[in-house]
This record gives sequence, C-alpha cells and structure tokens, in this order.
Amino acid sequence: MTGDAQELARVRNPVLLLSAAAWILLLANPGGMVGHAHFHAMRSGGLPLGARFRMLLAMNPPAALAASWLLMLVAMMAPVLIPHVRHIRRRSFRRRRARSTALFAAGYGAIWMAVGAVVLAIDLAVKLFAQQSYLPAAGVLLLASVWQFSPSKQRCLNRCHANTELAAFGPAADFDALRFGVRHGLWCAASCWALMLFPMLLPRGHVVAMAAVAVLILSERLERPMPPAWRWRGLGTLTRIAIAQARIGMGARTRAARSLPALNA
Amino acid sequence: MATYTRTNAWNNSGTFANADLLWYAKGVGAMQKRALDDLSSWWFFAAMHGEYVKDTAFPGWGHLPQPPSTPTTPQPSTSVWNKYWDQCQHQSWYFLPWHRGYLLALEAQIRAAVVSLGGPSSWALPYWDYFGPGTQYQIPPAFTATTLPDGSHNPLYVDARYGPQNNGNIYIPIPPVNQDCMSNDLFTGTNHNTPPPGFGGPKTGFSHSGNTSGNLENNPHNLVHVYVGGTAPGGATYGLMSDPGIAALDPIFYLHHCNIDRMWAAWNNSGKTNPTDTKWLNGPASQGQREFVMPIPGNNAWVYTPDQMDSLSKVDYTYDSLPAVAPAANQLSQRLTQLGASAAAARVNEGASVAQDQNEELVGANAGALPIKGTGAGTTVRLAADVLHKVSASLAGASETAPPDRVFLHLENVRGTHDALALGVYINLPAGANPNDHPELLAGTVGLFGLRRASRKDGEHSGDGLSFVLEVSKIFDALHLRNALDTDSLQVTIVPHQAVPDTAEVTVGRVSIYRLGQ
Repeated sequence: MTGDAQELARVRNPVLLLSAAAWILLLANPGGMVGHAHFHAMRSGGLPLGARFRMLLAMNPPAALAASWLLMLVAMMAPVLIPHVRHIRRRSFRRRRARSTALFAAGYGAIWMAVGAVVLAIDLAVKLFAQQSYLPAAGVLLLASVWQFSPSKQRCLNRCHANTELAAFGPAADFDALRFGVRHGLWCAASCWALMLFPMLLPRGHVVAMAAVAVLILSERLERPMPPAWRWRGLGTLTRIAIAQARIGMGARTRAARSLPALNA
Repeated sequence: MATYTRTNAWNNSGTFANADLLWYAKGVGAMQKRALDDLSSWWFFAAMHGEYVKDTAFPGWGHLPQPPSTPTTPQPSTSVWNKYWDQCQHQSWYFLPWHRGYLLALEAQIRAAVVSLGGPSSWALPYWDYFGPGTQYQIPPAFTATTLPDGSHNPLYVDARYGPQNNGNIYIPIPPVNQDCMSNDLFTGTNHNTPPPGFGGPKTGFSHSGNTSGNLENNPHNLVHVYVGGTAPGGATYGLMSDPGIAALDPIFYLHHCNIDRMWAAWNNSGKTNPTDTKWLNGPASQGQREFVMPIPGNNAWVYTPDQMDSLSKVDYTYDSLPAVAPAANQLSQRLTQLGASAAAARVNEGASVAQDQNEELVGANAGALPIKGTGAGTTVRLAADVLHKVSASLAGASETAPPDRVFLHLENVRGTHDALALGVYINLPAGANPNDHPELLAGTVGLFGLRRASRKDGEHSGDGLSFVLEVSKIFDALHLRNALDTDSLQVTIVPHQAVPDTAEVTVGRVSIYRLGQ
C-alpha cells in the first residue's frame, strides 16, 4: 500500500467507525430520544402555555438534548471532515497532529453546538404550539429546498472544500487549527442548517428523514466546487457513480482498448 | 502502421516553406471564421480548455488585445457549455491523456478544414521541439510573421505574446526549462528517481484546476506557457499563453502540447509504464464525475477515456522522431556516493521502481504569508530540532538498505492574479549574491500557469491556490557534508524571472520543509 493510501486509511477508518458508533447509539436508544434530540410529544390537552413549557423541559433536560445533538453531529458530519483532518495532519508536526486535529474538531463542534441551541429552541416552539402538525416541517422542507438549489448554497458548499494554510509552531499553530475548525463549521452550518432542522420538526419519521439527510450531505460533498448558480443540486454525483459502477460491473467499459471511432469526416 | 505522422515545426526553417505550417495557418483561419457556439470553431475549442467569456475585465475574452478578434457571443446553451467547456485537466494524472484526446480532436478539425481548402488529407499537427538543436528553442518564424505568403493576415500571429523578457522576442530559456522529468520512473507517486507527485501527475478526480502539477507538467509544460506568454509592457496584463483560460486562443498552444505529448510517448518508449489503476484507465466519469468529450467533424460527440489514449499504437499517429531518453544515473546511488557511502552506492538495486513514499513528515515552516513583489522575496524557514535530527541521522548512517531521508521544499497555497511568472527558489542564498552564480542552491523553478483560477474562491479548489513540491535532498546532503545542518532555520529566497508588476498580487501561503524517510 502506498504511503498516501496508508495515511488515508489511518484517518478514514477511525472516523467512519466513530460515525457508525454514533448512529448505533442514536438508533438503539429505546424509549429515549428515538434517534435525536427531539422533544417528546406530549398529551398536553388544555394545560396553559407556561405549564406545558415546564413539562417539556422536565421531560427533555437540556443536557440530554445537547448530548443527543452532539451524537447526531458526529454521526452525520464526521465523514465529511475526513479530507480536512488529512490536511491538518499533513501540514502539522507529527508530535502535534492529534492536538491540532482536536482543536479543529473543537472549533467545528462549537459552531454546530451553537446552531444546535437555535435548532432546539425552534423545535421547542413547534412542540409548544403545533406538536402534531406536519406544517412546520413542510415549511422548513420548502425553505430547505429553495436554499438547496440556490447559488448561495453553492457558495457555501464551495467554501467547505477549502484547505487553507496553517502555522506550524506554538500558539499560532493552535490558533490556526481552531480557526480552521470554526471557519469550516460556519460554512458547513450555512450549507446545511435547513437540512438539519427539517428532521427535528417531523412529528413522526425523523429517523428516516435523518438518514436521508445524511445521504444527501455525503453526496453533496462528493461534488466538486463549481460556479454559483441555480441548479438541481445534491444527488447527482451519487447517482452517476452508481450508474458508472453498474456499467463497469456489466463489462460495458472493459480494460481492453476499444478502437477509436473514425475521427475524420 | 500509423496513418498520420506529426513532424517538426522547424522543418524548412520554421517558415511557411513548411507546408504543414502553411496549412495549419489556413485551417486556423477557417476555424476562426466560425461562431463561438459552433462546436467546430477555434473559439469553442479554446473554451473547452478554459475560458473567461463572461469576465468583465482582463483576462475576460472581451478584453483581450487583437489579433485575434475573440468573440464573447453567441454563447452556447447551458447544457452544451456544461458538457464541453472548461474541461482541461491540470495538476492531475489525467493531464496527459486528456490533452492527447484534445489534440486529436483539434487535429481532426483542422485536417477537415485543410481538405476542404484543397490541402492534403495526410496533414498532421507539427510539434515545437524547443529542446532541439540550433535555433529550435525559438518560436518558429511562421508564428511571428504578420502575413501569409499571399499577403493576407496570418492567423498564427497574435498580439498578446510577449516572451521571457516581455519584449516580443519569443524563445524558451534552457535552463531553467529542462527535460529532467524524462528520467522519472513512475507515472504517479514518488521514489528516489521520481520527485513527487510523479511524471504524469497526482491521483485525482476530474481536475480542471488542482494543487500540485506532475513533473512533466511543471517543467517544461508550465514554464513554456509562462515564458511564451510573458507580461505586457506596463505589467497590467499578460500574454495569451500565460493563463489556461486564454492559452488555447494562441495557435502555438497546440504545437507546444504536441511536443509534451511527444515527450510522453518517448518516456513510454524508454520502458516506463502508464498506470494500470482502473480509476485512471476509466477516467473520472467512472467515478460519477464529468466525462472527457470532444466534438469531431460532423459535430458528433466523441467521448474518450485514458485507456484509449495510453499508447501511440492506439491513436493512429506517430512522430517523425522521438527524443532519445538517455539512461539517467540512479539518484540513490548518486546520493550515497556524495555522502561518502560508495560501497553502498554500488550495491543499490537499479531495477527497483516501486513507489517509496512512507512517513512524510513536516520538518519546519516559515511564519506568515509571503508576498512576492518586485524582484523577489525572502523568508526564514524555522526548523524543528527533533525532526531535523532525524534527517541528519539518516544522512550520516545512509546505506542501500537504510536510504537517506529525502527532503522537499513546499510552496503551499500560492495565490495571485498574475500567471505570467516563473519563480526560482533558492536555499541559503547569500545576501546580495547573484542567484545565477549559485545553481547549487537552486531548489527548482516553477511557473505560475493556472494561478488566477486556482485562487478564485468559487473555483475548483475553493481558492486554495497552487502548491509546488521541490526535491532538495542534494542541497541538504551538501549542508550535511559541511556540518551546516546543526541549525534552527534556513533562508529561502524566491526570485521571479522578471519583476512582478506593481498591480499584480502573488503570495505564498506557507513555505515549508518536509522529510520522507524511515
């Protein structure tokens, strides 16, 4: 195996394992959050608003919600961080690769935890006022769709691919790793905020929705940066890969040279 | 037996007495009469390489010196644009096979035009062998004449072609342009005889613009582009050949790439092999990315893959002569000898051409971005003592079974707006010294072809810019032999071939030193 392939495995395998473990924890939580930081539906009948609010918080302690959100983050986002972890490791002294990676993760995580607070606040509001309705989820889905196909989304996606320079020594190296994480977190959140909010607001089926969003996020990540424009965006590369691999499997493109067509009229 | 033979453009003194050049000029003229959205037009082909059709200032196609008179309308439909345009592969292992197909398609179009004008159906694209004897390092005179023999305008002449001294004298300076890459062992990857990322380029997906160029792409390819294009007097703009988004507008582009293609053929002919990885053979389309596609006469779409391009025997043309590739000294043996381990040098296994790229590790770096202005810039690269010690120890104890570390200088995240520069990179150049007096301190020379679009935030690598990797193992060997490696820093000096224009921006994100070893 080449050194490059070895290094890829060194990063990819633990990250994918971590993501898989997080999924398992999220899905195998019986009677708990059912997959994510979702406020328990309540039969709250004719209770006044204040009482309902207190009941919601009692059933869903903020600490548990935060932990659940963090698990969701690790499950869904860890794989897309692989290229950036590789970049950090390559650009850092061997002795501080783990430290720089941790700082990157901390910066990235901090942004997403802040986003999580907002998302959970919205979720709380929806549970208080429209808990069995699909309307809020539908509304966010519409918003997410418009955002998905917009040029602004492309701008954010493009920035997610950036691998910028990092100072090598001392506190500057710490700062750059942290800043890299924060910047990446900001562009990542700008790309995906609507997609992360949508599954939360569904009265039912949030696990399926979460899985679908995870597939979409990964598929988007496979696309190269491109000029911002309105276009269908997201599952293109994944679809093309599937088709191409199927073709190869069926022997349509073999290694034996196909003769060139007559190029000349 | 191949149908077509590509010949030397300097035959018949490189003038229009060379029938291939005269017919080329007529074919270019015919293609230039077609519209921008015509799949067989000169402009469409140039845009397939790269374009700035919509840009509102230089190098926007509407803001280029004439001739030629470059159109920006009528633009093709979005689907045609997305299918064909901005396709060229750079900083990638697809660089060579993509360009081979591109040349084939252009050649077919020119040939069809030539035949319709009464010319020979055997016409083939000539090559410019700038390494050839005598005056061949100069651009063939047919490209600088303003008229054809019959007095009409010469399509091979372009206004925006300034040369290495920015004065219209077009030639290739040799050195620093060289054929060192021909002694590489590996198409992709690195070993003692092959600096990274390999002769042909790094393993990538679809790569219209990337980070690190392959060795042939770096030198001579990028340097020839930059030296031929040059910078305009005044410094505000640069020549067509300097930037991938306008380079294929200059007809010399295809003769340059013909020679690059010929060098690839010669490298294979000397026994070096192309990748067998299916990801390379089947091209990026097999990974769900864009396909390689060209319009051929009749406006049909020709989709091709590297496995169809990986040998001259598959493409029905040949070259009238391939450069002989002299067997090069094994670099590991040379280093061991220099380091005083002659017995070990003799025991080095010549046949080994396996990638050796384990344990790449940062040794040191400078602090802060380095702007390149005026006549050059310098920076101090601080070295980590513990890692540097590993390098010294490996040099001291080097043998054929415990090879010495290889050391590399990286220019990371080079960004800017002025492609037309060649940078000479020196280690520990004494203050005030003339760089030309110290070839032993030269790490390498790099051309900034592709700089502008690699720096765009909405570009293919999110504005990360270009990266360069220069092998400096022998410079470190010399430092070691002088007991000068017990140091905490190195001076790196970057010398542009011409003064950087005031309006231009070029910065190096970070200058660093890496080791590759046990």
